[in-house]
Amino acid sequence: MNARVEISSQTAVGEPLIACVELGHVYDSGRGRTTALGSISLTVDRGEFVCVLGPSGCGKTTLLNILAGFVVPAQGFVRVGGHAINGPSSERGVVFQDYSLFPWLTAQANVEFGLRMAGRAARERAKIAHDLLGLVGLPDAGAKYPFELSGGMKQRIAIARALAPRPSLLLMDEPFAALDAMTRSSLQAKLVEIHRQERPTILFVTHNIAEALVLASRLIVMSPNPGRIVEDIRIDLPRPRRRTAPRFNELYEHVARAIGLETAE
Amino acid sequence: MAFGVSRHSVAGIIGTLAFFGAWEALSRSGLVNNVMLPAPTTIVQSAWELLMTGELPRHLGASLLRAAIGFLGGSVLGVALGVAMAQSPLLHGTINPLVQMFRAVPSLAFVPLAIFWFGIGETSKIFLIAWGVFFPVWVNTYIGVRDVSPLLGRAAASLGARGWRNFVYVVIPGALPFIIAGLRVSLSVALVVLVAAELAGAAFGVGYLIQMSQQVFRVDQMFVGLIVLGGMGFAADLLFERAIRRLLPWYGAEQVGQRGSQIEQASGRLVTK
Repeated sequence: MNARVEISSQTAVGEPLIACVELGHVYDSGRGRTTALGSISLTVDRGEFVCVLGPSGCGKTTLLNILAGFVVPAQGFVRVGGHAINGPSSERGVVFQDYSLFPWLTAQANVEFGLRMAGRAARERAKIAHDLLGLVGLPDAGAKYPFELSGGMKQRIAIARALAPRPSLLLMDEPFAALDAMTRSSLQAKLVEIHRQERPTILFVTHNIAEALVLASRLIVMSPNPGRIVEDIRIDLPRPRRRTAPRFNELYEHVARAIGLETAE
Repeated sequence: MAFGVSRHSVAGIIGTLAFFGAWEALSRSGLVNNVMLPAPTTIVQSAWELLMTGELPRHLGASLLRAAIGFLGGSVLGVALGVAMAQSPLLHGTINPLVQMFRAVPSLAFVPLAIFWFGIGETSKIFLIAWGVFFPVWVNTYIGVRDVSPLLGRAAASLGARGWRNFVYVVIPGALPFIIAGLRVSLSVALVVLVAAELAGAAFGVGYLIQMSQQVFRVDQMFVGLIVLGGMGFAADLLFERAIRRLLPWYGAEQVGQRGSQIEQASGRLVTK
């Protein structure tokens, strides 16, 4: 694993936001045991935009589910913000591939959901939701129900919803995989913009190399059987990133080799 | 839509008119006894008379009141027990065999027993309707609450939902499509049980009107009763749908087919369990 030499602007906080130590997980399906995650050690600083990249079965989603509190790891331990994880929490927002918006709530009420669960006042909720709808570029969609929105719009609402309780960590599980190429690239740009403005710490799982290279400030490449980290690369490409830039392509080739892909000439 | 007359609706109007025209002609032709098969115009006339004397409104009122109270009672109990059983495995284990046993008996078979216990007054009718309504509502509520989407559950948990807030804001709304499907089935069940109970013995009600008319050879009035029952069923379903569309604009808008088959699958699972 590469040592990260760059010093983030927020080192004053001291402790990294995420600290995983020898994290491992095994799924027992009854017909045999699958080692989803080998022994992973990893730290992530506040404000980082980490993409976790790898083929299916490499344990990247398991890692995200452990961080979200959906899955209890079989071995090792993990701390987020200095605390052990004890189930899901609004401290760790999650954006799902299938949006998972509440179909019975309007876009605005979906965004307000976490604040409502925290017992925040209606006026305050409305103000925050209004600002977030603006941030994701859907200032007028508040009264619409999810079924009235396109996939890309739903995912923007889902991002706003996850950001509303101001989580210290935003976990994104292949959030753009179900979208068409154009919507996907516009949402990638939006997410980079949101990260620049709000500086949330993001852990973004994907199996798309180009997507990871467009988004990440740091790229973690995983490999299956058992799931483990094979590369940990700081991505210092200038933004906005051009997929045609020579350096972008060099990184692409490098990462493709790391996950065992024969790169197309 | 309302003014755009399609070929299908023209065909429908022609078909309906032809049917009633033929009926009218048959009754007046002398080929059949017009006491046995009164002409549509005769039926309309009897309906008007029953309406004017206040007899029909009184029967209709009695039936509607019974149906409403029975439906309300049965659905409240069905939802309450369905939710409770889905939330508590112990409660489910304790009373599921009993409920399944009672559910297997057609509710109409309880009519004689209910009359024997509660007499021919309101109690037996309301009990029977509530009994019939209870089961579809209970089954659907139970499945709906038990099978609330685990993905939405995760989304809610990661937004800090737990305890009663999770129940009120996620579990119940998530189960609503199933609960509504159960209520809708129960609406027609309520009507069937209502009529059966009234036919078996009553002093008022549309079913009673049909029964009594039979005894005095007023086939025309029997037809009036049938038409009123048809109208009740139609109006109940229409009002239900309107209310749902107004109160829950999202319901049925998304993946109607998918959700329908999901409900069927869920019912299948319950039976096999």
